[in-house]
Amino acid sequence: MNKEVLVQISNLSKSYRKVQALREFSLEVKPGMIFSLLGPNGAGKTTVMKILLGIVKSDSGTVHISSLPVSSPLSRRGVRYLPEYVTFPSWATPKVLLRQLERIRHESSMQDFILRCTELDCIDLINRPMGKMSRGQRQRVALSLVTTGQPDLVLLDEPSTGLDPGGRVLIRNLIKNLASNGSTILINSHLLGEVERVCDTAAFINKGRLIAEGALDSLSRQTGLAFVETEHTAEMHIALEDAGYSCRIEDKGVLVQLTDPSAFREFTEAVLTTEIFFSALKLKRENLEDVFLRIMEHSNLEDDIVS
Amino acid sequence: MFLNGIEQLLRRKIVLTAVIATFVFLGFYWWGVSAASSIEFSQGNDMADPVMGMLGPADAALAAIITAGPLAATLLTALIIVIGSTMLPEEIGQGRMPFWLSLPQSRLRVYFSTSLAPLVVSFTLSVILFAGIFLITRIYFPFSPRSIPVVLISMLIWLGAVWASVTFLSLIVKKVASMLITFFLAAVASMFGGINEMMQMFPGEAPDALVTVTRVIMFIFPADRGYRGVIYGLIPGDAVITENLAFFGVTANVPPAHLIYAVCWSLVLLGLGYWKFRNMDF
Repeated sequence: MNKEVLVQISNLSKSYRKVQALREFSLEVKPGMIFSLLGPNGAGKTTVMKILLGIVKSDSGTVHISSLPVSSPLSRRGVRYLPEYVTFPSWATPKVLLRQLERIRHESSMQDFILRCTELDCIDLINRPMGKMSRGQRQRVALSLVTTGQPDLVLLDEPSTGLDPGGRVLIRNLIKNLASNGSTILINSHLLGEVERVCDTAAFINKGRLIAEGALDSLSRQTGLAFVETEHTAEMHIALEDAGYSCRIEDKGVLVQLTDPSAFREFTEAVLTTEIFFSALKLKRENLEDVFLRIMEHSNLEDDIVS
Repeated sequence: MFLNGIEQLLRRKIVLTAVIATFVFLGFYWWGVSAASSIEFSQGNDMADPVMGMLGPADAALAAIITAGPLAATLLTALIIVIGSTMLPEEIGQGRMPFWLSLPQSRLRVYFSTSLAPLVVSFTLSVILFAGIFLITRIYFPFSPRSIPVVLISMLIWLGAVWASVTFLSLIVKKVASMLITFFLAAVASMFGGINEMMQMFPGEAPDALVTVTRVIMFIFPADRGYRGVIYGLIPGDAVITENLAFFGVTANVPPAHLIYAVCWSLVLLGLGYWKFRNMDF
């Protein structure tokens, strides 16, 4: 067992009756990472999280957190989890829920909780029954509850569910703060824009298999598109078309299709020779959505060939 | 976790209703017993009414207890079945079970601390109810119960058997089905428990088929053994009519082996429930 690895999953398999949810799935998560599990619906992301927490039992394979097998409750001592769907009792206030959690964790964390509620802008809700809160308010409170203290590992299943844009920003900041304080974050989300803003590493799952893993930068490819940022879009468009480039006008610039990313130097010279003022010139990389779609398409194609 | 379960349970309307029903029941019982206390017993003076002449306060106490006992038992059985059948399924259905299991505690602890709350609440209410019956009766008809420890032990065995049954069933069938099955079993066991007492009054007289069916029912659902132990321990030992009422199956002694069997049966069911819970995916 590698001591530098917080989460180690080896050859994990799980089936629900006839549905194979995970197949020989292996993954390592190092401390301090903000890691995302990505994949289409039913890919097995939530199953991975639940097996990590001992909520779902695996058919085969081994899973360790901090070198402890997940069958041991001790492995969950520094772990916090926010499920995608959880309904707290409608009568319970966040303070009551915190007291219930403190009884189980054998720790006192009211001060931390108040700080966390302040951070997530829900301090005025701590004495309000959960049944009298909106979905977004409940989600903020739930996040405050599960992230209170100094957790080693935080597992968040669709944490932005029900949140307004302001709430999403607060959660992004919270995640970054937790990571900067040494927590490892494992996020399962379909909101790729959110994931892209906050995560540094991702694992792609399709049909229960790990199909790609790595730093987001390394997974993203050059697109072969270049963007010329300029206010003189019409003139630039005409000039580049005259130079033989296929391009179109976009907001605040012109998007150009290059034959090859290595032709960027040649393209730069072409832009300079137009003598039209531009403020930036950059090669476009894939965003996470592009990466996701490319990897999934490739994976499905491979499956088709095999079958 | 256990305290969390108790806290959750005490917020439920069904428990509040049962608490109110308990005190209303005791209020009516007090009223009835105080009204009946105006009867004058003339023990030793059998000139006017030979039957009345044989009776004393202990007989009146016995009559009051065996009238109130089945009603109290129905209330408590209903309560433990309703709250016992919903405790685990609600935690699972509302999505809270994954949350509890993600905390640093074993499944064994989650299972017992969650499911134990209905037994504790029901047992507490049962103690209040039967203690109320005992005290109210004793105020008006002074008597000495046969054995308070037997009452408490039998009460735990009786409620424990119903609780173990409904907890186990709630994990393998839907909660309404688990309630109905346990209600049915409790009712049938109660009826055959009475038949068993009557058959003991006339050994060898009952048809073999009836004896077999009665034994099978007692074997399948032994909760009634505990309830009869409660009544046996609570009633006065020196009442004149005790022996006669044994005919109706309400005052007979319960062999310790029956109570021990009920405990073992409950433990097996709880074990099966835990085995099911341990292997569940949430």
